[in-house]
Amino acid sequence: MSITNKITVRRAEIAVAVILALCSIALMIKSAENRITWNAEENMGAGFLPFYLSLGMLICTVLTIIKFVLKRSPQSKDDSPFIEAEAFKYIAVTIISLVILVLAIGYLGIYFSLIFFLAFYLRYFSSKSILFISVFSLITPVLTFLFFEWLLKIPLPQGISEPLFYPVYDFMYS
Amino acid sequence: MDVFILLLEGIFVSFEPLNLGLLIFGCLIGLFVGAMPGLGSVNGVAILIPITFIIPPTAAIIFLAAVYYGAMYGGAISSVMLGIPGASTAVATVFDGRPLAVKGEAMTALTAAAVGSFVGGTVSVILFTLFAPPLAEVALRFNAPETFALMVMAFATFVGLGGDDVPKTIFSILIGLALSTIGLDLITGKPRLIFFNIPGFLHGINFLVLAIGIYGIGEMLWTLEETKGKVQMSKLSVNMKEVGRAFGALKKTIMAMNIGSFLGFFVGILPAAGATPASLMSYGITKQLSKNSKEFGSGVPAGVVAPECANNSASTGSMLPMLTLGIPGSPTTAILLGGMILWGLTPGPLLFTQEPEFVWGLIGSLYIANFFTLVLNIALIPAFLMVLRIPFAILAPVIFVLCVTGGYAPTQSLHDVWLMLLFGFAGYILRKLDYPVAPAVLSIVLGPLAEKALRQSLILSDGSMGIFFDMAEKPIAAIIMYIAIVLLIMPAFGPLYRKFFKKAQTT
Repeated sequence: MSITNKITVRRAEIAVAVILALCSIALMIKSAENRITWNAEENMGAGFLPFYLSLGMLICTVLTIIKFVLKRSPQSKDDSPFIEAEAFKYIAVTIISLVILVLAIGYLGIYFSLIFFLAFYLRYFSSKSILFISVFSLITPVLTFLFFEWLLKIPLPQGISEPLFYPVYDFMYS
Repeated sequence: MDVFILLLEGIFVSFEPLNLGLLIFGCLIGLFVGAMPGLGSVNGVAILIPITFIIPPTAAIIFLAAVYYGAMYGGAISSVMLGIPGASTAVATVFDGRPLAVKGEAMTALTAAAVGSFVGGTVSVILFTLFAPPLAEVALRFNAPETFALMVMAFATFVGLGGDDVPKTIFSILIGLALSTIGLDLITGKPRLIFFNIPGFLHGINFLVLAIGIYGIGEMLWTLEETKGKVQMSKLSVNMKEVGRAFGALKKTIMAMNIGSFLGFFVGILPAAGATPASLMSYGITKQLSKNSKEFGSGVPAGVVAPECANNSASTGSMLPMLTLGIPGSPTTAILLGGMILWGLTPGPLLFTQEPEFVWGLIGSLYIANFFTLVLNIALIPAFLMVLRIPFAILAPVIFVLCVTGGYAPTQSLHDVWLMLLFGFAGYILRKLDYPVAPAVLSIVLGPLAEKALRQSLILSDGSMGIFFDMAEKPIAAIIMYIAIVLLIMPAFGPLYRKFFKKAQTT
């Protein structure tokens, strides 16, 4: 039995509800670092709203868990896989490549990271030729650069590749 | 008469070269975004908002409203040709649009959708022009308690009319509100919820980070899972004879047009509703009232016209509370409202007096956009079909690039890009488990405004919550609050009603 068959909608429903309940408790604890009381003299403490909003979230997740236990929600009776094996491949590869992309942006800068991201993604999921993938992966970051840096004047992160752009900036602003 | 002059001025504003250029460009992008499976107006507006920072607010709102409008038209294209709704707003269009395409009458379905959208859009923008100024005038008398009561009603509408699981809906509202409290407390200036002392949290969470995360990353993951890149396109023959026959078939859809246009507008005004429930309701009611109700679902033009009229009408309707009350009527208008704050405007009735060019430029542009979108839609059908043939494996990374750059641009912080990814993954998982995500986006936009209104009200009342329920002093706030309470408890009576109804039927 593959991992995607083991994770049923039913299991995902309870797991997510429990995680959200824990997150709500964490938010309550974090909110309590500020004053969470409210009265006419002192007005509202900075932690008051986030604390009670998180308490509300906790109550909602507890209700979801109760509905699950009583089998009152459609998800609590659904033993089908949460995600099909084929779709899982798409989702997992996409998520991992996105995480690597953002990690790389901090180091390599956005433009070089985009080249690698696009080349990998297209090579992995599409049946396009190497030539198409190369051209597409190079043109997209160039257009991104022109749009953000030249048209919008918004500098995007360049990491260690920043010195390579100095001549381009000299040309753009001279 | 005043309204007519203001409207004319607004139309002149939208004809200014920059505005007109952006309007046509927005319509085109909207049609494209709407036509792509999985992408709708909300995704388009969320992803594109960062690029509006360099243009004046009037041009920005005209551009984004045109994207919104175009997407409503475009949604029908993939519903008919692929059998996959371009967006949730076009779900009902599949019911009869796809069978028509399968029967070889795709052109009839596409023409019915375009003309229906045009009629719905035109009727609703006329209603909008008539209703907006008086409503704004009433809203000018609103103070903090009324504003807060309105926001509570907006949240309550999601619970009462959203139709989703109630605890999950409330959770979604509360998490959006809780996220909006991150950063510096607006009264005491104390930092709140600064996790792991990461400085990025000090400036709070920009609503765009959540919106792009959920509607950009999350939606693409959802669509990747749904389609796995495999789509089956119907055949289409485009010639004048087909177009003429398609227009001829529209004679029998007058009732559908009326229902879609008026119902769509009024459903669109409701904060929780927007275009998706409007189109579904319009389809259902048209089917019920039609003499040929049994034929619905097998491919009748009225089944395409009704939802398409309604979704366009609702999209305009949802802008009415956004402009006049500062309360969005749909997820897309929630993002537009957030955009208005980013552009330095204060959403609400004061816009009508302080920024008439902005308001009437937008209203005028809706008339123009409606016309251009109809023409572009029908003229460019072959081009959109080419676009639909682009493999998802190519489109998806381009959307991801737009999301990453769009998430970074507003604050120029990688911290926000990480958050956007996190919200995207979380939104995808939560949506799979039927947690509605739209309330969270609405809440993060309205959260700071609601908190400000609440705290101002409590200062006015020396800390008493009674200010929101005082029929003598604050009747409008009290009435709105009582309506909100009714909406909040309404779902509890749903099962009782169904039980009673079942019993009555059996006896």
